[in-house]
Amino acid sequence: MIIPKEIKQKPVEYIILLLIFIFGFFLYIFINNSQAKILILSGVVLSYLVWSLYHHQKRGDLHTSIIIEYLLIILFGLVFLLFDPFAIF
Amino acid sequence: MFKKNWIHYFIPQEKNNHRATLLKPFFLLFFLVLYLLSQSIIKSLTIANPGILGYSSEITAQKVLDQTNNERIKLGLEPLTYNSVLSESAKEKAEDMFVNNYWAHNSPQGKTPWTFFNTVGYKYSTAGENLAKDFYDTDSLVKAWMNSPTHKENIINNKYKEIGIAVVNGTLGDIKTTLVVQHFGTPLIATAQEIISQKSDDIAVPATVDVLAESDEKLISPLTLSKIFSSIIFIALMVVLFIDGFTTIKNNIHRLTGSTVGHISFLFFIFLIMLFNQQGSIF
Repeated sequence: MIIPKEIKQKPVEYIILLLIFIFGFFLYIFINNSQAKILILSGVVLSYLVWSLYHHQKRGDLHTSIIIEYLLIILFGLVFLLFDPFAIF
Repeated sequence: MFKKNWIHYFIPQEKNNHRATLLKPFFLLFFLVLYLLSQSIIKSLTIANPGILGYSSEITAQKVLDQTNNERIKLGLEPLTYNSVLSESAKEKAEDMFVNNYWAHNSPQGKTPWTFFNTVGYKYSTAGENLAKDFYDTDSLVKAWMNSPTHKENIINNKYKEIGIAVVNGTLGDIKTTLVVQHFGTPLIATAQEIISQKSDDIAVPATVDVLAESDEKLISPLTLSKIFSSIIFIALMVVLFIDGFTTIKNNIHRLTGSTVGHISFLFFIFLIMLFNQQGSIF
């Protein structure tokens, strides 16, 4: 099995990221309240942003272009959820 | 020659600074704008010219009845008996929502669900109503009702003996949609009513009725079209991310970009959320 070098170098950081997504997902599907779901999604998105800032800070390559890339990917995901016909919004 | 022209869009190489061109901020923004544009066009077409797009719901009254009774049987309850008078009241309710353009148990004119029961002459000792719209299939619809405590309460209520169902297509809030209305009831004096009660396996369930539709032509649902566009753009992005990630690992490249593993994980999380989000709305 191929494990990316970046995971091998910082396994704890990636385990934390994985836990954020798994925890966020299960919380999302087990809670029925729409407002709570939006809060959970916001929490996961914010956590991903904080994780990326910490991850690149530690790697020593925290540059504006990287932050823009993360923001665009996050925006991309959120726009999909926002316009998805099955979405909660 | 041609291969070399497009390969940098997908494969990290020296020419694109070891990052697939499609993953660079400009192209991410392009994907985003393309997606928003496609959604806006679909919505505009739906509103401006309802004839172009339509609905393609696979829901039928028979399927709703069968699955409702399956849920009851699973819990050891008696299946509900189909009642054509209740279906008539359900149909009138759906038509009233289309004609008066509302989505609620009580109409802006003050009509309650019980108004429709009374209009068709169904005398009840106890009654209830479930509503739904914008669902493609019966499975998701019944699942959504069963996930909602109040709707589930109606479906598995042992006090109800009969059910009527209407699946009606029309235009609500300028968008073509399918409304599903369930009317539950227990007749006050069952024998005094002229109702046709049959077992669920041999009933004649009313066909879907078009209230405001101009033709019977089967059109593509705007929701389906929107979903297809979403899927294409989403899958394209995921594929490019995978190719980019795989090539980077294979060639052991270190570069100044965001984490591909992180991006794939995040988008996969979004994908799972979309997958588990329920279709349509229930009331």
